[in-house]
Amino acid sequence: MTASAADLTGKFDTSSKQVGVAAAILAVCTLILVFVIDTSLVQEVLGLARAFDARVPTFFIRVAILIVALGAALYLVTGLSYYKRNKLAVTPWLFLAIGLGLFMLYVIVPIFQSISYSFTKWDGLYDINGDWTGEWVGLHNYKLLMSDPNFYTSLKNNILWLLLYMLAVPIGLFIALFLNQTVRGIRIYKSLFFFPFVISQVVVGLIFVWAYNPQFGLLSEFWSWFFCDNKVNIVGNLTRVCSVEPPSILGNEHTATYGIIAAGLWPQIAYCMILYLTGLNNVSPDQVEAGQLDGARGWKMLWHVVLPQLKPATFIAVVVTVIGALRSFDMIATMTQGGPFGSTNVLAYYMYDQAVGEGVGRYGYGSAIATVLFLIMLLYISYFLYRMYQDEKEGH
Amino acid sequence: MFPQPLEKRSSGFNLGYKIALPIALFFWLLPLLAIFMTSIRPVADIATGNVFGIPSKFQFIENYREVFAKTDALQYLINTLLISLPTMVLSVGIACLTGYALAIYKFRWALPLFFLFVAGNFVPFQILMLPVVNISVKLDMMNTVPGLVMFHSAFQAGFCTLFMRNFIKDLPFELIESARLEGVGEFQIFWRLVLPLVKPAIAALCVLIFTFIWNDFFWATVLIQEDSRLPITVGVRTLNGEFVQQWHLISAASLLAAMPPVLLFFLMQKHFIAGLTLGATKG
Repeated sequence: MTASAADLTGKFDTSSKQVGVAAAILAVCTLILVFVIDTSLVQEVLGLARAFDARVPTFFIRVAILIVALGAALYLVTGLSYYKRNKLAVTPWLFLAIGLGLFMLYVIVPIFQSISYSFTKWDGLYDINGDWTGEWVGLHNYKLLMSDPNFYTSLKNNILWLLLYMLAVPIGLFIALFLNQTVRGIRIYKSLFFFPFVISQVVVGLIFVWAYNPQFGLLSEFWSWFFCDNKVNIVGNLTRVCSVEPPSILGNEHTATYGIIAAGLWPQIAYCMILYLTGLNNVSPDQVEAGQLDGARGWKMLWHVVLPQLKPATFIAVVVTVIGALRSFDMIATMTQGGPFGSTNVLAYYMYDQAVGEGVGRYGYGSAIATVLFLIMLLYISYFLYRMYQDEKEGH
Repeated sequence: MFPQPLEKRSSGFNLGYKIALPIALFFWLLPLLAIFMTSIRPVADIATGNVFGIPSKFQFIENYREVFAKTDALQYLINTLLISLPTMVLSVGIACLTGYALAIYKFRWALPLFFLFVAGNFVPFQILMLPVVNISVKLDMMNTVPGLVMFHSAFQAGFCTLFMRNFIKDLPFELIESARLEGVGEFQIFWRLVLPLVKPAIAALCVLIFTFIWNDFFWATVLIQEDSRLPITVGVRTLNGEFVQQWHLISAASLLAAMPPVLLFFLMQKHFIAGLTLGATKG
């Protein structure tokens, strides 16, 4: 009895040797990180010419020392009697430390910083002493937004994106139903249909810029089947004469946004399709058979028996489509850069343009636009989290 | 199975389906096919209007060689690898730790913190843009590849944590409890017991993150200006401005940028789809 008690006390004691060694390593690492390593030193040691070149090696040295320091800190904590007694309460925080720290630094804190920038007028610069050069202007930026026609165009386009992008969900379902058969080679077909989603949006944008080109694009080719003739001109070259000129979709301020959304739908439909294909895999055959016995066929079967079972897939498809619509940036940047006449701007692109676009450095104003976009997204995020919370309560 | 399987349909329907399938696929991938044809045709074809017919000469090797010779495409591709591979390792590694913590330990903050990761994963990039630029400048990492990697890893940790936590949550908890009873340390349980069990999740996440980062455009434009450090997505867009009307080169470069994720998808299809469709089968 006494022996086991002694065992227990020994088990929960702080092991001073372990803590001592760990603390020493930690101290040395901190010292190096804070005082010794700086860019100019590395530059001298490695004989690098410009401050620019030295930054990457310095970075890796810093990361290496940081990792050693983290390891030492971990070793230190596990030696403490406090840790030994409260193992289950402390360990999750040790596991979380790195991820949560990085996520806070790069994602959570910046959200609040951006919101605070939106109340200032600032061009993003610091003066020579490293002091901030902006000024606090309260709600001024938001008042400016209210009277900015470009802001309204962007907002209107964002709503267009949201509405039309939703088409990806039913079309994706339709293609999934079409492909949900078992014939030879159907797996290859499924993956080929999924193809557009894997391709970068920049490349999709470029493909469609070319497809929409009124002189030699894919669309003008179809157009010429109906409205154009090829004629040989005086010099002997083949020229195309059209009774109605092919439209320049991206050059026209009334059609450009629709053109970009159509291009964006291509990968998004593929994404929704794959979600539904997986969902269809898990539709219970018993219920479908039961439905058949009740005389349900075709649309009726789809609506009353299959779709309710596809609810989780539909939910995810709607969520990713909303997020995709509100995040649309790459396509606009590659296809029109917001033009013609700002008609294809969305909040995401307009913010970028105002904050770091050529000749403008309106950090405060840009942050105000970003804040509006964030608030719109927050509606969806809250809904998503609410749904997740419900599931968690039920599930566990 | 829905819709009704082909075996139960008329033979006419069967035939129709088998004909419709390749035709539908052809139209679905038409933009891609067309751009591929453009990338292997001589520039003269486009000028004379032969944009869709059989190329007058197949210049597959010539055109792609010209892209590498005339541009920094190779450098861009290497840069993209230098960005996406470390990000993949870092974010998936971090997520194994955070996902484990949030799934296994029942402490008061487990659910709020999990929701914090999920919510952060969905925010628009623009709300992060300016502060992230400031942080990068302060850490002396602006305009460098490691700077971009740090940000990507931190941001992707949100999605990866969502994925990992749900995956680990589905493991039988009794395994961990019995290991604890036998006196196995918490870190040993993670390393010896849980990590081998989540290998499929790690594979799925790696493929997904690699593709996401490979295709990233926004953050590369924001955090990197130096031309020699740009990834291929930004590089291709720049080429678009330089090669006005040289569509055979632009399309070849675009296809080069698209190729690696496509190959990866075909090789790792099962993992890729498992990752993307997480949650599509259950609430």
